[in-house]
Amino acid sequence: MIAYLLNLAQLAAIFGLLSVSLNILIGYGGIFSVAHAVFFGLGAYAGAHVALDLAPDILLAALAAALTAGVLSALLALPALRVRGEYFVIASLGLQMLATTVFTEASDITGGLGGLVGIPPPTVFGVSLADPLAFLLVCLGFLALALAVVRLLMRASFGRALMALRDSESAAEALGKNVPLLKTLAVLLGGAFAGVAGALFAFQEAFVNVESFTLDQSVLIMAMVIIGGAGTLAGPLLGTVLLLALPAALTFIPGLPPTDIGAVQQLIYGLAMTVLMIFRPAGLAGRLAGRR
Amino acid sequence: MTRITRRTLLAASALPLGGGLLASRRARAEEAYILGTLFPMAGPNAEYGTIFTAGAAMAIKHVSADKMLSRPLALRAEDSEGTPQGGAVGMNKLVNVDHALYVLVGFTGVSKAAAPIGTRAKVVLVNGGGVGPDLAGLSPYYWNVIPLVPDEIKVLTPFLIARKLRRVALIYVNDPFGNGLYKALKTDLTAAGGEIVAADAISPTDQQFSAIAARIRTTAPDAVYFASYGAQQAQIIKQLRDAGISQPLLTYSGAAIPSVRNLPEAEGLTLTAQAADWTVDDPVTRRFVADWRAQYGSDPTPYHQNYYNAVRLFALLAQQLEKAGKPVNGDTLRAALLATRRFALVGGEGVFDDLGDISMKIVVNTLKGGKLVAVG
Repeated sequence: MIAYLLNLAQLAAIFGLLSVSLNILIGYGGIFSVAHAVFFGLGAYAGAHVALDLAPDILLAALAAALTAGVLSALLALPALRVRGEYFVIASLGLQMLATTVFTEASDITGGLGGLVGIPPPTVFGVSLADPLAFLLVCLGFLALALAVVRLLMRASFGRALMALRDSESAAEALGKNVPLLKTLAVLLGGAFAGVAGALFAFQEAFVNVESFTLDQSVLIMAMVIIGGAGTLAGPLLGTVLLLALPAALTFIPGLPPTDIGAVQQLIYGLAMTVLMIFRPAGLAGRLAGRR
Repeated sequence: MTRITRRTLLAASALPLGGGLLASRRARAEEAYILGTLFPMAGPNAEYGTIFTAGAAMAIKHVSADKMLSRPLALRAEDSEGTPQGGAVGMNKLVNVDHALYVLVGFTGVSKAAAPIGTRAKVVLVNGGGVGPDLAGLSPYYWNVIPLVPDEIKVLTPFLIARKLRRVALIYVNDPFGNGLYKALKTDLTAAGGEIVAADAISPTDQQFSAIAARIRTTAPDAVYFASYGAQQAQIIKQLRDAGISQPLLTYSGAAIPSVRNLPEAEGLTLTAQAADWTVDDPVTRRFVADWRAQYGSDPTPYHQNYYNAVRLFALLAQQLEKAGKPVNGDTLRAALLATRRFALVGGEGVFDDLGDISMKIVVNTLKGGKLVAVG
């Protein structure tokens, strides 16, 4: 049981980092992207290649993943950021579809649908992190670092300018804020943290393939942010824990026939999400309307 | 109005968790051998999960009725969602919470994500659904009770040549299974004097094949082979026929599912699968078929057969270990498999190689009135 809970905790820390990274875009920047799984995937592939081809050093893999996902996210986002609102959602949807195809077809790099197998357990400075608790602590360390960076930046002028942009892009521009630069930096930062989460995910699963980086995954990450409370520090973490813990808890329902288990779980899961958004539309950690 | 708070949510989540823990402890108290299933149980591939589970469930019934083992068998199902992440989470639970000894899997991505967890915990995983060549030798604890696709192509090629179906157009899913099939078909067909006149790779999520059908028509092949999964297979068949392609359609064992068998356009479809001659007179096959017909009112499919065989294999190995006074775990099961190799299974004798992959007789079938009829 402990090993199972440790495994879930690792996933929660990794997806927590991922949702914190998307919160920079959605919660603070008002940039609604449905392509975040792409940057998660880029980081996972980069981290997996470092582990398979160079050394399974988690810091090296995380650095490579952050650079790959961060730089590529900024490059890919530059043309898309010229549009705003619902048009950006559509542009990001296109990017997600494009990336899924590239991940599938570029089998020399990604292994295609067969993926990359045999990713070794991570190490840090030569010390093995094969022990699940040690790996969890490292994941929590990356998560804490990301939270600290987000907290610092969002209290600095960058964060204030980003939130001004979220509330009114035209007003922010009129006040002299460099809107394209702010958006690009937000995407770069969000992409880099998503990349780190991807590298951790590659080590955690010991296998990566395109099926983990699809539109479904992007929607799940977005749901974590929105259900938890976009634009808050704790919200994405609460959303992550809820969306990972609830399906896990549902698997413990006794007496379900094996053939009905999936459908019943999906029904309860969907119902719970709907009820939650009716009664807490601003998310678990979000402020209620009128208290902003 | 009652407000839903975080505390309420956490409490609601904890209730089933507590109930599950109690149930799990009860199961351990009975000292059952726990077998796990890691199948997609919701979504577009749920049809496979239902089919796979039905075969395993009937085997458990037979093993219990025969009192083959000193301890009961208990099945724990986890929904893999058909994704690697779902497979890894489910496998972790089966290994660490349910303490499963033996887990049935069926999808490539799920298998690859679950195999490292099985290897670390020395829990045997058995595949009876995926036929991609990359599923061979995933781990010493990963076995296949279904012949992999190169074996099916070896049987199909002489059949095609004998029927003068030398020029074949191919539609295949661009994944290790599809690519492996393409390679095997190209190699075997070319060596036998045939050729692949068109090869179109598709994505597992594609739904429109009319453009591919139009291209295939221009090549005028003798037959069209498609290699896909689940509901997409029915879409391919229907759209090829709607586009006026009247040549024989060929495929592999993955098409032996109700959504294909019940499709009027699939009448006459040629597909390879392990021998499923339900008229053979061996007691294992006879009993399986009789009980299946009595319970479901129809003939079983090769998938039902495979997952029945997967559970029966466990029972035979565990029985052997119990008689020898040895514990039943991943290591002893593997040692017993490699020491015995040959097992009386549904459909005939199954022979396992060093990697834990089965060899069984494969036949060419044609679909007539929703039933598979052996033709070669």
